[in-house]
Amino acid sequence: MTSDKKPVLALFYCQNTHASGEDERQALEQKYGDSLKLFPIPCSGRLEPLHLLKALEDFADAGYVITCPEGACRYFEGNLRAKKRVERTREMIKSIGLEEERIGFLINSKEGPKPLTDLADEIMDRLANLPPSPVLGPSVQGRATGSRQRSKGDKV
Amino acid sequence: MITAEQKPIEEIREMIAPYKRILVAGCGSCVAECAAGGEKETGMLASTLRMAAKMDGKDVVIQEKTLDRQCVNEFVIQLDESIDQYDAVLSLGCGAGVQAVAEMYPEIPIIPALDTEFLGETMSQGLWIENCLGCGDCMLHYFGGVCPLARCSKQLLNGPCGGSMDGICEVNPEVPCAWQTIIERLENFKALERLEEVYPPKDWSKKQGRGPRKIIREDQQR
Amino acid sequence: MIENNKLEQRLKEGAFAVTAECGPPKGADPEAVMKKAEMLKGKVDAVNVTDNQTAIVRLSSLAACSLLKSAGLDPVLQVVVRDRNRIALQSDILGAAALGIRNVLCLSGDHQGFGNQPEAAGVFDLDSIQFIQVVKTMRDEGTILGGEPLSKSPDLFIGAAANPFADPLSFRVVRLAKKIRAGADFIQTQCIYNLDRFEKWMEMARDRGLTEKVFILGGVTPLKSVGMAKYMRNKVAGMDIPDAVIDRMEKVPKEKQREEGINICVETIQRLKEIEGVHGVHVMAIEWEEAVGEIVEKAGLLPRPRS
Repeated sequence: MTSDKKPVLALFYCQNTHASGEDERQALEQKYGDSLKLFPIPCSGRLEPLHLLKALEDFADAGYVITCPEGACRYFEGNLRAKKRVERTREMIKSIGLEEERIGFLINSKEGPKPLTDLADEIMDRLANLPPSPVLGPSVQGRATGSRQRSKGDKV
Repeated sequence: MITAEQKPIEEIREMIAPYKRILVAGCGSCVAECAAGGEKETGMLASTLRMAAKMDGKDVVIQEKTLDRQCVNEFVIQLDESIDQYDAVLSLGCGAGVQAVAEMYPEIPIIPALDTEFLGETMSQGLWIENCLGCGDCMLHYFGGVCPLARCSKQLLNGPCGGSMDGICEVNPEVPCAWQTIIERLENFKALERLEEVYPPKDWSKKQGRGPRKIIREDQQR
Repeated sequence: MIENNKLEQRLKEGAFAVTAECGPPKGADPEAVMKKAEMLKGKVDAVNVTDNQTAIVRLSSLAACSLLKSAGLDPVLQVVVRDRNRIALQSDILGAAALGIRNVLCLSGDHQGFGNQPEAAGVFDLDSIQFIQVVKTMRDEGTILGGEPLSKSPDLFIGAAANPFADPLSFRVVRLAKKIRAGADFIQTQCIYNLDRFEKWMEMARDRGLTEKVFILGGVTPLKSVGMAKYMRNKVAGMDIPDAVIDRMEKVPKEKQREEGINICVETIQRLKEIEGVHGVHVMAIEWEEAVGEIVEKAGLLPRPRS
């Protein structure tokens, strides 16, 4: 299955992870446009499976989370909780026949922490060949607008 | 609290397959505490089911609403305003919640999304254990605060059986022998000699009376 | 004294009694029971019939006891509370007595989850100790639970099981005392391989004067192979097989292991005979009833007196 449309990624990331400030965010938005929706969160532990599911249901082909390195969470175990929640969400989408690769997470490195821009690039590269989500269907694909997603992100 | 677990999605999808407008009804009480049917879980299930329907190309409306308590009529009645829009209710209440909704709206099919499990305790985050059978005749004072009916695999009132080894139940190596715990507790209270007496047979009529049990409190009634 | 009860008669005479175990077949097959009856006849004083042991469906214990009775043996009806509520238990007790069965062994039963019907509801309405008490009241007071009188009391010699090897050790003797208080006339123990621990338990029982109040039959099971020994040690709850026993089985070649198993069993019986307060032996040769005669003979317990 091929498509001209680039996959849309909903990317949740911990604001405490290395180089993840406003500059990085703007740079990413310019680079990827509507293909990337960014959701900064105060700690990846605040992420709920529902956030990922809603993103997949409404506009995204994939939903990812970037967490701090293990042992480096400002709230001790937020990143560990995020990991488990991502696993649970994967189980749920798998149970309805959706590819589990559509949900994932990336742990920033402890030894050589990378900026958000690099991590986002890595995930976008990984998703380059991901077929469009069967949940969104051809007519729905790509309809998401920046403004709509921004308001969603604020709720997180 | 009453504990429950969500049924597999496949089973839920089969049960709701005949319906086109479905209300997914959560409950904010016990099943929220055990992370099976609260607002979060209700949202997750509804979202997942909507995605599944879209993938199947089905034109189905799936909406969600979480009641504070699904087993109390005063809360169930909050469904009045919207219930007519649906042709089925998928309930994330316990068995009591499901039946309370069914009782209130007998003309609409109601489908359980959870398997109700037991009366239990939240031992730690993400761990719930059964410790009460609801027998209608509590004996916990006698057994050092440990219920042998709920926690001994053979429901022995004069235990332990011959399979208790190293404090572990023979039936399930993950379960501590309830009788080992009872003996230790009574030793603490210097009341071990209590167990030399034969504890008489249980009066099960207090649990399995004639039909479902009922509690009537006139002082609480209108 | 109960009429026609060889087991009770033997024990009350002060003789060293011998009982064996007979597992009913997994089918409506009376010949299988009769075959085992032939093997055991004249070798033992009474024969226990297991009640759906390890929670596996088999021909009913009551029916098999009746068949043994007709073959001239003295059966011991094993009854577990796992499968019957108090109505069925009391009814079966009356039925057994009416069929001329004179011994009953009251048990909890292996949990239903272990057998071939893991989806069964476990009943456990009474526990084994309450059941003993109920049978005693039926026999001695002529009443059922709740006090209603019987038209005729069941004349039964009441047995119970004891596991000297389960934990906690201190409570094991309390439990024995409790079974005696409830009404047990005789006790058959779990298979004995750890004689030191058994002797300690017996000493504790003697200290409490329990051996004066009840007849204790030590349980033995001949090992068929080292594999069986390891399986029992690792998988069977409440089983205590010391390393020395396993080593001994391991040291002999495979084709000699059955013989070695019989030797160990015979030696255990010899030692049991010397322990004060042990009144007999209960040989549980699991699906190996043909070994019973040899064991009993080698242990010097033949011929059995005729009554």
